[in-house]
Amino acid sequence: MAYTILFGVFTLLMLIGTPIAFCLGIASFATVLYLGLPPVVVFQQLNSGMNVFAMMAIPFFIFAGDLMVRGGIANRLIQFAAGLVGHLRGGLGQVNIVASTLFGGISGSAVADASAVGGLMIPQMAKRGYDRDYAVNVTVNAAIIALMVPPSHNMILYSIAAGGNVSVADLFTAGIIPGLLLALALMVTAYVVARRRGYPSEPFPGFAKVFYYLLASFPGIVLIGIIFGGVRSGVFTATESSCIAVLYAFLVAMLVYRELDWTGFVEAVMGAVRTTAMVLLVIGMAASFGWLMAFLQVQALMISAIGAISENPIIVLLVINIILLILGTFMDMAPMVIICTPVLLPVVKAFGIDPVHFGVVMILNAGIGLNTPPVGTVLFVGCAVGGISIREAMRTIWPFFGASIAVLMAVTYIPALSLWLPSVFK
Amino acid sequence: QEITLRSADIHPDGYPTVDAVKYMGQLLSERTNGRIKIEVMNNGVLGGEKDTIEQTRFGVIDMNRVNAAPFNNLVKETMVLGMPFLFRSTEHMHNTVDGPIGDEILAAFEPHGLIGLAFYDSGARSFYTTKKPIEKLADLKGLKIRVQQSDLWIAMMQAFGANPTPMPMGEVYSSLETGVVDGAENNWPSYESARHFEVAKNYSLTEHSLNPEILVISKTSWDKLSPEDQTLLRQAAKDSVGKMRELWSAREKASEEKVRAAGANVIKVNKEEFSAAMGPVYDQFVSDPKLKDLLERVKAVK
Amino acid sequence: MRRFMRTIRPLLGALSRASLYIAGIGMVAMTLIVGWQVFARYVLNDSPSWSEPLALHLMAWFIMLGAAVGVRESVHLGLDVVRHVMKPSVQLAMDLASLGLIVVFGLAMAYYGLLLSAGTWTATIPVLGWPGGVDFFPLVVGGAMIALFAAERFIDQFLGVELAADVVVQEMA
Ligand code: NA
Ligand code: NA
Repeated sequence: MAYTILFGVFTLLMLIGTPIAFCLGIASFATVLYLGLPPVVVFQQLNSGMNVFAMMAIPFFIFAGDLMVRGGIANRLIQFAAGLVGHLRGGLGQVNIVASTLFGGISGSAVADASAVGGLMIPQMAKRGYDRDYAVNVTVNAAIIALMVPPSHNMILYSIAAGGNVSVADLFTAGIIPGLLLALALMVTAYVVARRRGYPSEPFPGFAKVFYYLLASFPGIVLIGIIFGGVRSGVFTATESSCIAVLYAFLVAMLVYRELDWTGFVEAVMGAVRTTAMVLLVIGMAASFGWLMAFLQVQALMISAIGAISENPIIVLLVINIILLILGTFMDMAPMVIICTPVLLPVVKAFGIDPVHFGVVMILNAGIGLNTPPVGTVLFVGCAVGGISIREAMRTIWPFFGASIAVLMAVTYIPALSLWLPSVFK
Repeated sequence: QEITLRSADIHPDGYPTVDAVKYMGQLLSERTNGRIKIEVMNNGVLGGEKDTIEQTRFGVIDMNRVNAAPFNNLVKETMVLGMPFLFRSTEHMHNTVDGPIGDEILAAFEPHGLIGLAFYDSGARSFYTTKKPIEKLADLKGLKIRVQQSDLWIAMMQAFGANPTPMPMGEVYSSLETGVVDGAENNWPSYESARHFEVAKNYSLTEHSLNPEILVISKTSWDKLSPEDQTLLRQAAKDSVGKMRELWSAREKASEEKVRAAGANVIKVNKEEFSAAMGPVYDQFVSDPKLKDLLERVKAVK
Repeated sequence: MRRFMRTIRPLLGALSRASLYIAGIGMVAMTLIVGWQVFARYVLNDSPSWSEPLALHLMAWFIMLGAAVGVRESVHLGLDVVRHVMKPSVQLAMDLASLGLIVVFGLAMAYYGLLLSAGTWTATIPVLGWPGGVDFFPLVVGGAMIALFAAERFIDQFLGVELAADVVVQEMA
């Protein structure tokens, strides 16, 4: 009965168009009242869910992206990128994916990736005649690459949830090939969709012009170097790098390009507040919902169901992937990894699957879930940054889902994609 | 009627604290013919230690197994247990918490909506570093050492001459790897299970703190039990302590062996030198006459 | 009722603008604090212990105030697939049900936030040294404001009043 209330209230409210943060909160509240637990727990978890240092990267990267757009950094960077590969069909889509991969090497957060690259690329793509839904879909799907290529906080989370017997170093190395494979699959998809929609390809401007663009955009390129170098050399953490990006973008816009005035600055601040407060509220409310799922042991129920379906490892893995994809629609990344790993890992281990391999499968599944409503943080950030509704994005996201799921299947059934690289380093 | 007590723990399956509470549940179930059971909800699924302490106080969950440190800002008597180099040995710590001083500290939880049930081992915490091994006190000078977000721990690192850097546990691995911090400190099992030994190979046996774990039950849940059941519960908790100590020393040994096999550089240090630097910490945190008295009595325990 | 709404409208508008500005100041302060944390740790080799908990506390304020303004401006993320295809009268009923529930939830957030605050008052927040209950102030204030703004929209919807000009959704970054 408690399950029915939790999921029933949630679904009902979603259908009548209640904002998702409140669907999660009200469903949790109703369930707690039914169970006769002190309702304070819903609000305590909401508060804890908002009290995560790594979450600060979300407003910071959106703020930084906004400053880069208003301060003239973004258009110079895109001008350079467009000069470089704009003559390819749908070139900016390709640029977006490559940028996401590079950015993913700096940050472990898909949300930060979507907000930083999206904040930079989506307005420019729209300006150059790409449909906003295409720009958003390329951005949000490419953002998942950030979870796969190191650094990735979520891999560490998995290792801890797995009982600390899985090496983080191995997990980091294991994610590299699947991450690059995902990038490749998305680039092919972006190319095919761009051809079909007839997106522009611009004439190659000549090397002199490209070199000039490079010089003009140099302060922006330096930022990538500062973030990457800063994190690699231990000057700051991946979370802190988002704050450095804000400060750097502010200084360049004020002192180098001198395109940012007081009004532009205030608008950038207010824009970031409006865009991120609601996303962060959803994450907070999801913590309450996740607490109840753990309390009701929803996942344990699912496990007993898996065992009843099949004894064949290929089928079991397929079933687990489907379950994770379904859970991923409702759950945010961190709670999903924390809650599902301890339950699912023993099951797959019994079928002889390597925990490092399963870690990559788990992170990719949870990553795809970041783009599936009703709880799809990255998709929401992408839509917010791109100024389109979730419905508009969902209508044309399918080819990209297809590519991600093809990569997921390859990673699931070819363990060597994950395990070969770590074995080289041993 | 049947009672199922839900108990929170942040550690994974098979961790000594988790198995000890499960063992306690087994005892209780046997002694009540299955009428009272304990369900351990571990892996931190109900939240971090601060969260679950609040949940236990508000009666959301029944029991909780937490380190003494997160209680410091609520039950000030627990502060004494975490003082650096206070316990001369594990045996000294056991004798203290098993005796009247232990009971006195457990009783101090009651005004805060909790009933203290038992103390569990948490081993000794020592420093580990990425580049420079710590062989003497001077080696700590200026090193960025990750600490828990706690006033006591920050003051302790300052007294050691280090640069205390508070940081959530989840960020420590990558911060050690990239050099945001130069080191951290923890017991053998955490050094091993958090995989920090992969990136910080020098483990210096300073053994500066023997802060125990504490098992508590919500006062709301406690008051619902009959006096007979309360006695049974308290006894089962006490009886799980011996089992816990067995599990703990086995786990500690296994972790140490695993870390050594992985090539960790384990360094013996002169603890006297480190201990001598702790004067300011005692002056700052044990100023209250009540705590001073408690501290003196702990020191006097054989 | 209409007259009452007209009278308090400027007040509510001022409250929501003030919240937005405070949230904005909070975000700029967060930037400076985290920036200082990096500078002090790396350049001065003296890590501030207060920077992380203070920045987190500011973030809680910024989320709750920004979210409350979002309720007033109706910029919250929702699925409108089903709502979209309904008759206007059904849409109105759906909106009233949603807003009514948000009012109740906002009030619950404020009330239970107060209980949490009172219950944790005797604990101390490490490093900052504030009473533990201060942690829940953003919930109390944010919950009350969410309830207030949702109530405003509920009454407006009920009376069939168009949204006032100052609450039209601004173009997002
Ligand atoms: Na990454
Ligand atoms: Na999802």
